[in-house]
This record gives sequence, structure tokens and C-alpha cells, in this order.
Amino acid sequence: MIQFFHVTKRYPGGQAALEDLTFEIPRGQFLFLTGASGAGKTTLLKMIFREEVPSEGQILVNGRNVSSIPARKIPYLRRTIGVVFQDFRLIPRKTVFENVTYLPRILGLDQRGQRKAAFHALRRVGLAHRLSAFPPQLSGGEQQRVAIARALINEPEILIADEPTGNLDPDLSREILRLFLEVNLRGTTVILATHDRDTIERAGGRVVTLDHGRLHSDLELVGSEPPRLEPPREEAEGGDGEAGDAEAPA
Amino acid sequence: MSLLQALRYFFREALVNLFRGWKVSLLAVLTITVSLCLGGTFLLASRNLSQAVERWRAETRVVIYLRPDTSGDDLQRLAREAAEPPWVAAVTPVSPADARRRFQQSFPSLGGLVEGLGEEPLPASLEIRLRGGARPAAFEAWLAGWRKRPGVSLVDDDREWLRQLETLIAVLRGVGFALGAVLLGAAIFTIASVIRLTAYLHQEEISILRLVGATEFFIRGPFYAEGLLQGLLGSGVALVGLYAAFRAVHARVASSLFASMLASDFLSLRQLAFLVLLGSLAGLLGAIASLRRESL
Repeated sequence: MIQFFHVTKRYPGGQAALEDLTFEIPRGQFLFLTGASGAGKTTLLKMIFREEVPSEGQILVNGRNVSSIPARKIPYLRRTIGVVFQDFRLIPRKTVFENVTYLPRILGLDQRGQRKAAFHALRRVGLAHRLSAFPPQLSGGEQQRVAIARALINEPEILIADEPTGNLDPDLSREILRLFLEVNLRGTTVILATHDRDTIERAGGRVVTLDHGRLHSDLELVGSEPPRLEPPREEAEGGDGEAGDAEAPA
Repeated sequence: MSLLQALRYFFREALVNLFRGWKVSLLAVLTITVSLCLGGTFLLASRNLSQAVERWRAETRVVIYLRPDTSGDDLQRLAREAAEPPWVAAVTPVSPADARRRFQQSFPSLGGLVEGLGEEPLPASLEIRLRGGARPAAFEAWLAGWRKRPGVSLVDDDREWLRQLETLIAVLRGVGFALGAVLLGAAIFTIASVIRLTAYLHQEEISILRLVGATEFFIRGPFYAEGLLQGLLGSGVALVGLYAAFRAVHARVASSLFASMLASDFLSLRQLAFLVLLGSLAGLLGAIASLRRESL
């Protein structure tokens, strides 16, 4: 559960990025956050994982007030939140395996544990066979799926995506959206920020719209073409073809 | 993650960073090497000079030169008198004839100068070898007493020039430490710059680490380890260089007074450990200084 109570964010100079926001996101919900560029979407998302601090108001994430959380506890909050960006943020000189296993390394998993975690996360996004590839060898869609695998590797309670399809063509965008919806099916709260109205209208669901930092609307939309979702991959019979080609975890 | 796992991760990452950015790392390592080489050279020189002084101190002599008219009986009597105090190990009376013969043996080419002069040109003397250990205040009074005696023309005390040599060693050591400290400061500055550059090159990765929940300790650890490794490498190279230079000078110990004074012994284990510790600390300090103000 994420709760915003009268949250305002002002940057030095007095400009307000967010103004008196109050709303909540129940556990396991899929939420579209939309609005024009500069509406405050990214600022709002950053506040959830404590990259930004509200100037006024409170934000509770699973009952913890993230505005007043001590600096040394921020890393532990972030381990429960997966974040995906428009520009993927992969390290080009590191393999897919190395890119997705940052958190397992931080948690002290041995090489075997890391490979197992990487394999499962990449299998969920259909890229288990590209463990040894480097990001520049992958397409844009594949790179975004690696970034999603990195965000999912620790089974986060919350997945935040900031314009994850902004750099992708419509077909790849649909594929990525389907991935997020599948992740949500497994119980993860997903917050997807996008200004692509078309994607939102096709998928449907709860849509929170910001306008100049204020809550403009909070609606439940019925999608025109909701994606057909597969059951979670681990539960699917026989798995998929890509996973079948993948190298087994060491 | 356990501390051992964290340390293993830090040093693995640091080694990768050192390997990938070997050119800038080399610069940092070399500045440490130069500063420790210089400091080590002064340390080595002062150690050997101090040892030489200690050796000479153990052989400290006082030579009492007597007036030319001192008879052989007086010489023997004075020698017996000089042997009485507890700090005297032995007294050798040297007659004018003995002094001349010694001179001729020591300086054969100048032997003719003291030959056929009619009377003995060199005075009789008492060569007094002193026991080791601290000198009581009575020793100074005893020396002063000899200086005042009418039959004595000069009292030559080795300790005076030893004192001068000790002053020289202290100055040498001070200059060495000062120069070493300045260069070590430069090395810390260089390492700090190199680490800052490495951190800058890894900014994107650091932001990802922070995003996925890495602690500051985990993020900064590899950079601290890198500084430490640079310091260790620098001090290692410095010690190898220092040893090579020592061997080269030491090979001439038998033929050169200079070499025997400066390169009889290499640094002690404790001094070697001190230099390695100093280099490592400089590296670590550089890393800490570079990341102290960095928000990374």
C-alpha cells in the first residue's frame, strides 16, 4: 500500500513540482500515472523510492513514512522496490548477467545463487538465453526487458516504471506493457508513468492524471484492447521456447 | 552480506578497476613509489649512520698529548694514573719514538718528513680506551682535570665529533622525513584525483547500485580498496627499488668508506613494515579524501 497525504514538492527557487497530492495505491494494483511532460510524474515516482523528499506532507510505503526514513535505511527500502527507466540504464561493458545481478551481489549471494536468480528473472522476460550478451548486442526491446529483469530479480513488492516504452516502437511497447501486466498478476504493485494516452486507453485500468503538479483526475478506464495475458511463466506447462534454449543455471 | 564477502567483492572490483584504468593507476602508484623511495633512502642512510656511530661510540677513545719534555717514567706513571677510573678500559702509553714509527707505517710516503730531524717530532701520548655505557658526571670532571694539568698539551675527545655526526644524522633524518612527507602528500593528492576520476567513470553504475539498494559502504568500498591497493603496490615497488639500490652500493662496502657508512645493513623488518603501512595508509587516505565530499 502506498499513501500520499497532502504531498507538495517545491524545488529551490520556489517552483512547485507537486501540489497537495492525496491519494493511495492499494497493494497489488496496476496504476497508470499520466500527464504532460513536466506534470510531476517523475518527481512523484522518485518520492516513492526516496530519491526525492516532499517539501510538505507524508508518503507511506507499506506503512513506513519514507519522508522521514533515516538515510542509512533507504537502501533497505529500495530493495523492496524495482525501478525501470525509459533509457534502460544498463552498463554497456557488463554482461546481461552482471547487469541483472547487482542486488543479489549486494545481498551476498554466491555465484551459483546469482546465476539462479538471474536465470529466473530473465526467464520471466524471455531472455534467459542472453545471459552472456552485452547490452549493445541487444535490441531496444530486449534491453528494456533486461532492465525489467533487474528490477524483478528480488521479487519486489512494488515495480515503478518511468516511461518504459518511451524509446520503443508500438509493437515492442505492447510487449513491454504485457510484461508489466503479467508481473502485476503475480501480486506486485505496478506504477507505470507514461504520457502515451493510446497505450492507456487500449490497456485500461486505474489512471491517475497529473496536471502542473496537481491531481487532475483519478479514473478507472475500461481498455479497448486489453492484452491477453499468459499465466506466470514458472507455472506455465513446459515453459516457453526461449527458456528451453537457455543455458541451465550453474 | 558478510564482511568477508564484502571485502572479497571490494578487492575484486578494485583489481578490475586498476586493470582497466592502468595508465592513471600507474601514475598514482609511481608517486607513492617515488615518495617512499626517497623517504626510505633517508631512513636507510640514517639507520646505517646511526649504527656506525654506535660502533664508533663503543670504540671511543680519549688521547692525552703530553708536553715534549715528558720523560719515559712520567709517561708510565701517568698511564697508571689514567687507568684508575672505572670508565677506563685500557691505557696505552705511546712514546715519541712509538708515535714516529706509527706515523711512518700509516703514511709510508710521508715517512721521510719525520726522519733525521735530530729530536722526536711527535709528542708522547696516552691512548685511553673507554668502556661502553653512559658516562658519569665525574668523567667530565676527570677530563677537565687532565686538561688543566701542566704536563698536558692537548686532550683529544672522540665524543666531540661523534656529537657532530649525530647532529648531522638528526638533520638528515629530519630532511628525509620532511621531503618524504611532502612527496607523500603529493601522492595522496594524486591517488585522490585518480580515485575521483574512477568514481566519475563509474557514476552510472553507482547510480544503479544506489537505486537497487546498495549501502554507502558497499558503493564506496571498492574505491577504498583501490586506493589501498595502489598504496600497497607503490610501497612494494619502492621497496624493491630501494633494495636493488642498496645491493648496488653494498657491493662496494669493502672498498668505500662512504658505502660502508651508508649501506652496511638494509632496513629492518619493522622499518620495511612501516614503509608498506605508510604507503597503504597514503592510498587509503587518498581514497577517503577523494570520496569525502563526493556525493557520488
